[in-house]
Amino acid sequence: MSAWQRAAALARKDLLLEWRGRETITAMAVLALLVVLLLGFVIGADPARAPAITWVALALAAMLGVTRPTQAEIEQQALETLLLYPGSREHIYWGKWAAILVQLTVLLGMLLVVQGVLFNVDLWPKLPALLGVGLLGIVGLATLGTLFAGLVIHVRGRELLMPLLLLPVALPVVLAAVRLMEVVMTGGPGGLVWFGVLAAFDMLFLLVAPVLYDVVMEEA
Amino acid sequence: MKALPWLGGAALVLLAVGLYIGLVGSPPDVFQRDYVRIMYMHVPSAFVAYLAVATVFVTSILYLWRGRESYDQIAHSAGELVTLFTAVALGSGMIWGKAVWGTWWTWDARLVTTAVLFLIYVGYLLIRELAEDRRRGARLAAVIGIIGALDVPVIHYSVVWFRTLHQPASIARGDIQMAPPMVAALMINLVAFSFIYVYMLLTRLRLERLEAARAAAELSP
Repeated sequence: MSAWQRAAALARKDLLLEWRGRETITAMAVLALLVVLLLGFVIGADPARAPAITWVALALAAMLGVTRPTQAEIEQQALETLLLYPGSREHIYWGKWAAILVQLTVLLGMLLVVQGVLFNVDLWPKLPALLGVGLLGIVGLATLGTLFAGLVIHVRGRELLMPLLLLPVALPVVLAAVRLMEVVMTGGPGGLVWFGVLAAFDMLFLLVAPVLYDVVMEEA
Repeated sequence: MKALPWLGGAALVLLAVGLYIGLVGSPPDVFQRDYVRIMYMHVPSAFVAYLAVATVFVTSILYLWRGRESYDQIAHSAGELVTLFTAVALGSGMIWGKAVWGTWWTWDARLVTTAVLFLIYVGYLLIRELAEDRRRGARLAAVIGIIGALDVPVIHYSVVWFRTLHQPASIARGDIQMAPPMVAALMINLVAFSFIYVYMLLTRLRLERLEAARAAAELSP
């Protein structure tokens, strides 16, 4: 099997598992919705605040959901078998990464609809740009999230450490995505800078994270 | 390791000289008055914190590459010093900020970056402690050490631009001319803190080695 096939097979398996239960996406969606409702109500549903609230919700939901595909392997006692298959561990990383990316994209779509309805933002003319910005941000979250998901299974307390690892390190993603989304919605200046920050973050960790995943998954 | 007491002594002497110039020998600032003296320890601690981040970064890569235990021991010791010196820098910065800016905290880029850095290295130390075994903890911590250091510039610039592109910076930093004793106090303290850093790193490293030796001795009957 080629690298692509291995990664695709793993992503397909994870997504199929998720499709049959739909537990992770439900939990992520409900958390995101709650955060949007709560923040929107508490600090006011001003359309200008929509990007910030959307990305806080997305980051928190990602933090909750990214561990699931790896956690499921542990629960089914399938991780060791998975690691025993011949080939590079990087393929496992890309499979998990793709599965998480798809789930976060679904979540992004839902959040954009929520944003349009609850914050009274006219999304249709800007939808492609908003989706593009969203995808750039999601790639960043998924890239680090997949690595950290593999990392926390080897420590006590597992999911408890996820926020502590993911949120500070992924801070630039949230900041850049918020500003970029504001630029898209209001047509203000500075879009290129933030695009640069997001692209640089994504590329940097897309290069580094799969290599480090190999280290994380190695048998001690 | 025989040079260790000498190193500590040199650090102490340098620190005494730096503090004397900083607290007694240098004039108060026109605007900040005596509060400027906080800078003579604030700036060096921030500098040393970044020095420690760099140490963790380099030794983490070397550990993953070469697998030698001693690289990990240095990384662990430096990782603890990152949290210590970022905490000192944050604390002294906040005290200075309260006196000069009139507020404990502003959403200044450097403050936020340092606070985030502190949190990342708390995670670094936690991962190490909570790992299934020592070796695993060392590898996982090395991963965080590399990711954290790579993230520092990205965090810094995103935080800077997040503020400045929207509103003008709250404090305009002009080129303020510093009196020679002020420069001397700052420079001597920078060197003194670097000495203290190396001294603490080596002392911590010795402790780490003793712990490893004891753990090995306990394992063998």
